[in-house]
Amino acid sequence: MKIIQLFLFAMLLGVAGPISAQTADEIIDTYFENTGGKANWAKLEGVQMAGKMSMQGMDIGLTIVSLKDTRQYTQINFQGQEMKQGVYDGEIMWGLNFMTGKAEQMEAEMVNNFKMNEAKDFPSALFDYKDKGYSAEYLGKETMEGTECFKVKLTKNPVMVDGKQSDVATIYYFDTENYVPIAEEMIGSAMMQGPPGASPAKMISTLSDYQEVEGLYFPFSIITPQGEMVMENITLNPTVEDDAFKMPEVAVEEDK
Amino acid sequence: MKTPFLGLLLLLITQSISAQDEMITLKGDELFGSLSARHIGPALMSGRVSDLEMHPSNNRILYAGTAGGGVWKTTNGGATFSSIFDDYCQSIGAITLDPQNPDQVVWVGTGETWTRNSTSVGDGLYRSTDGGTSWKKIGFEESDRISSIQINPTNSDEVYVGVLGALWGDHEERGVYKTTDGGITWEKILYVDEKTGCADLILHPTDPNILYASFWEYRRTAWSFNSGGLNSALYKSTDAGKSWNKIHNGFPTGKLGRIGIALAPSSPDVLYSVLETENKNDSGLYKSTDGGKSWELKNGDFGLVVRPFYFSRITVNPKDPDVVVKAGLSGSISRDGGNTFKALGQMHSDIHDITFDINDSDRMYAGTDGGIYRSWNGGATMEIVENIPVSQFYHISVDDAEPYNVYGGLQDNGSWYGPNSAPGGVKARHWNSIGGGDGFRVLRHPTKNIIYSEMQGAMNVWRYDVDKKIVNTIQPYSDEGQAKLRFNWNPPIATSESQPDRLYIGSQFLHVSEDMGSNWKIISGDLTTNDPAKQNQEDSGGLSKDNSGAENHCTIFTIAESTLDQKVIWVGTDDGNVQVTQDGGKNWTNTIGNITGLPKNTWCYHIEASVHNKGTAYAVFDGHTTNDKKPYAYKTTDFGKTWTSIISDEVVGFARNIQEDYVNEDLLFLGTEFGLYATVNGGKNWSKFTNNMPSAAVHYIELQKQTNDLVMGTHGRGVIIIDDISPLRNLSQEVLAKKVHIFPTPTTEMYEDAGFSGFFGSETQFVGENPTREAKFVYYLQKRHTFGKMKMDIYDSNDQFVTSLKAGKSKGINVVYWNFLKKPPKIAKGKTLSFAGFTAPRVPAGDYKVVMTKGKETYETSIKLKYAENGIPIASRKAQEELTAKIYTLTEDLAYDVYEVDRWIEIAEKTAKDHPAQQKMCNGLADKLNGLRETLVVTTGDNYVGTAENQLRENLADLYGKIAGNYDKPSVSDLATFNSLRKLYDEKKGSLEALRGKEVKKLMSFLEKAEVNANVKSKEEFLKK
Repeated sequence: MKIIQLFLFAMLLGVAGPISAQTADEIIDTYFENTGGKANWAKLEGVQMAGKMSMQGMDIGLTIVSLKDTRQYTQINFQGQEMKQGVYDGEIMWGLNFMTGKAEQMEAEMVNNFKMNEAKDFPSALFDYKDKGYSAEYLGKETMEGTECFKVKLTKNPVMVDGKQSDVATIYYFDTENYVPIAEEMIGSAMMQGPPGASPAKMISTLSDYQEVEGLYFPFSIITPQGEMVMENITLNPTVEDDAFKMPEVAVEEDK
Repeated sequence: MKTPFLGLLLLLITQSISAQDEMITLKGDELFGSLSARHIGPALMSGRVSDLEMHPSNNRILYAGTAGGGVWKTTNGGATFSSIFDDYCQSIGAITLDPQNPDQVVWVGTGETWTRNSTSVGDGLYRSTDGGTSWKKIGFEESDRISSIQINPTNSDEVYVGVLGALWGDHEERGVYKTTDGGITWEKILYVDEKTGCADLILHPTDPNILYASFWEYRRTAWSFNSGGLNSALYKSTDAGKSWNKIHNGFPTGKLGRIGIALAPSSPDVLYSVLETENKNDSGLYKSTDGGKSWELKNGDFGLVVRPFYFSRITVNPKDPDVVVKAGLSGSISRDGGNTFKALGQMHSDIHDITFDINDSDRMYAGTDGGIYRSWNGGATMEIVENIPVSQFYHISVDDAEPYNVYGGLQDNGSWYGPNSAPGGVKARHWNSIGGGDGFRVLRHPTKNIIYSEMQGAMNVWRYDVDKKIVNTIQPYSDEGQAKLRFNWNPPIATSESQPDRLYIGSQFLHVSEDMGSNWKIISGDLTTNDPAKQNQEDSGGLSKDNSGAENHCTIFTIAESTLDQKVIWVGTDDGNVQVTQDGGKNWTNTIGNITGLPKNTWCYHIEASVHNKGTAYAVFDGHTTNDKKPYAYKTTDFGKTWTSIISDEVVGFARNIQEDYVNEDLLFLGTEFGLYATVNGGKNWSKFTNNMPSAAVHYIELQKQTNDLVMGTHGRGVIIIDDISPLRNLSQEVLAKKVHIFPTPTTEMYEDAGFSGFFGSETQFVGENPTREAKFVYYLQKRHTFGKMKMDIYDSNDQFVTSLKAGKSKGINVVYWNFLKKPPKIAKGKTLSFAGFTAPRVPAGDYKVVMTKGKETYETSIKLKYAENGIPIASRKAQEELTAKIYTLTEDLAYDVYEVDRWIEIAEKTAKDHPAQQKMCNGLADKLNGLRETLVVTTGDNYVGTAENQLRENLADLYGKIAGNYDKPSVSDLATFNSLRKLYDEKKGSLEALRGKEVKKLMSFLEKAEVNANVKSKEEFLKK
């Protein structure tokens, strides 16, 4: 009978979620609890995700490394070539130019914006968001992907866009059944200018195929307006050489 | 303790049992899933812009409110605009930015205040606190139209709202309202009566206790307009709205009409006001230099007094009190404090608002009936913004061309037709003008290349022979002794499917022509109520006479001949009759008396004759011209003897049009003032369609027969299309009860037609979105897929993997596309990229299997692909496919060879390091391998102009790219090139095999002995995709 009671309780209350009025913090906390526990997320030192980006049937191999100490890089692979993009060594950001294969520094405004926000977003922008200067607001329920969701707006630190300050925020859509985000929407005056004459393309990514990796849940499929990113392998606390983030000083010309 | 839980358990069980018996009704997003609308504009003529709002400190940012297309924002100084108010009422009265938080806080009052006959309605006040990304409704649901929002520059919580109020009836929600708590509570601080509203409200820029408010007594009916009365007045408050005084010193006495008011920001005691008065000589621009204590008439030129209800905005240059601009037919500018005026530079006529750049007064923006214009030279030269698709269609129609064309007429922007798709998207240049004035119905002759179009009041009806480029004007006149013909502003014409040369037009009579409009005969009596009280348009307008024809009433408004029986004709009138004949016009029956629940004389906006049964029809009524905003749609199955309402509570906004599905009688689409609704159960439940579909007024809907595309003419957002609505036909209860249901995929033709689009101008010009022509898989998920793997893969008839697709995971309907391509080949690694190598080959026609894996379950469906029918012989296609496959294989063979060579080089170099005794052997091998490699792939250069000379990989890839991209048989030279590359490959392969047999073998056996794992992937492993 005890088991039935528990089962009933779970049915009545839904999954581990507070049934009363929601606050943004309750939703975010429940998300971290339901996906492995906040303490375990806090212990994470780094994540390496390997997979591919599919765009119109073409696959581009992808390895994304992000570390707690803010360093990160994305390595894309096609035709056997490995090209690094968005490499941040804690100070500067660089990527390889596709035409020449040479490393070039990213523009200062973009890097400063990155330092204001994304650099702090390991393991998630939502994690201890107040410490980063962000604020969260519960905006009510909304249907996303045909599914009832809690809508939480995470306002980040303002950034500069072409020399003018601009607000940025991410709206998270948490499935009300399990408190896992199934979609993220980037908003902000920087993103307001869509293609000529259209509504600004909504920068919505949908998250699915959540799977467990050593006790933590990650979405293994992220569909963005550009294509689908499918993770094949997620490694926690990977070993990464310092050199992996270092910008090559001179282009490696005429190598074999 | 036991019992309550047992009880609960029982309750749950019974609930789940009863739930099984209930109908599953999907609503909104669940129902429509990933079906999405696309917008094709056009934007070249844009549409009516009602209000402009400049950011107070950042001149890159400007907001524009439109008559029916929502709110648009530019963040690049007006180069391009984006729509930011899609989900809400699209008719805009006023936009105001909070002076203290102009980046974040935007207030929008809905309901256009330029009250022409076709103006839409508002539904309240909205606010965004994130620069227009998201919105909240603040209230004023019944306000109908909000003319002004003023915010205390020192206190963002203190806001004044001027409500002009209902145009079509009495209402108390009018006047000036004030909040001191940021919009939570409102106090009505100035009210005149239920007919008189606040037309303009301004706040002193530096003394927030001073306000000016103009009040306007006005009313429209379907057949008349009145501007003016004794209650129209200009008021001033000096105590933040506590008390108000009329400031008419210098104004004429008697009735006043609409009053515009503006203040010079650089000299706030200077006021300009434009008056509509009883005596023509008193009307014009008045000026006060003492904050409204006294007024002096400055100028009564035509440009200042023209149509006050449509033009009353005055804008003063923020830096110069003597530079003043008045909206109007052409717009007028004065540089001498209002003494003299000249017209603004040439642009679309009917200017409603003008604004100056905050820093540079030479930069100006104007909102017109034809979009936004910018000026760089103080209004002398005007340049249109080419990317605001807010065109206002009254009607649309489609043909059966491939791609099909969309035809339609626009408010003040003539008539047009254009393709629904074009290479690179539908651009301005794809649209063709097919009539002037205001455009309404535009119809393609059912069989000939002839187009009918018309202008307001049937002043002209045209028949255009597209091939010969000949225009004939064909409207009927009344015969001798016959009553004067009354045509609606928006007169109905209709063609016949059974008699292609037949054309109908409706005045108060139904006219028919059997020779494409050359000769007409009347086949009915007066089908309207012919109420003389509604036929005094000459007296319409109020203080300023306004007899444009827009108020013509007691006219036929819709005509529908049954496609099942040409003798069955339906006619609906603007004064609320629904007439039907079953004998081609000999006898008519007015069936309106058989409709219950519909107020008398409600405008019959549309009748749709069913294609399923000749006695079946749908009638849609619009009561908004009597201030009744409820939707009305009825269905009859017995020629109108009985009518049943098919509206549910879910529908918001008055309706104008309905479209029946050609296959499933229960699938219907309803256009309302606030968007599109659909029902899959004959009107028991309606769902609003919101996927990329704004809440625009849907005036007309067509279902294109070949494509099942739902094509909408919106009055403010141009033509919007939902491609292929057929998935909605098959949503049976059995389907909805399943966890996963994959709908069968029809045989799909692999399109081949393409072309060069030329992207020039697309940086700032609107480009309409094309439909996808890819293969489409549609499935229903009962629940969204969130946990565990899910994928969709395609296999050919030999169970060989072809490619994977991006599976949709939404609850409801998912649509997944396949571009008929398999994966591109694996390409040998070189120093640079081989761009041709990214080409993915098309699959041959045939049967393919689609496997969806969702967690542990798999689901399968199949698709048959066929070739495009364009004359390319099958043998040629096969030759192309065969050669493509050969090069594909050879490309991958080479890729693996190069991989092996690269690995061997690495191994040799490592071994040389780790085992110095082997250095010589290893170095020798590495040298030979490197030598070979240099002939296989490029090993130097870059991806731009530093490219190296092509090697085998590049030559092979270039040939592959050429052949794979074609559909026809390869040329003799293609084959010769392939053969010579194949020969070269064989040679290289020979060298490689020689090395493998000798030096490499030696190295490998050394490593084997040394127990080192060489770790070279097998070919199969290497090529895995």
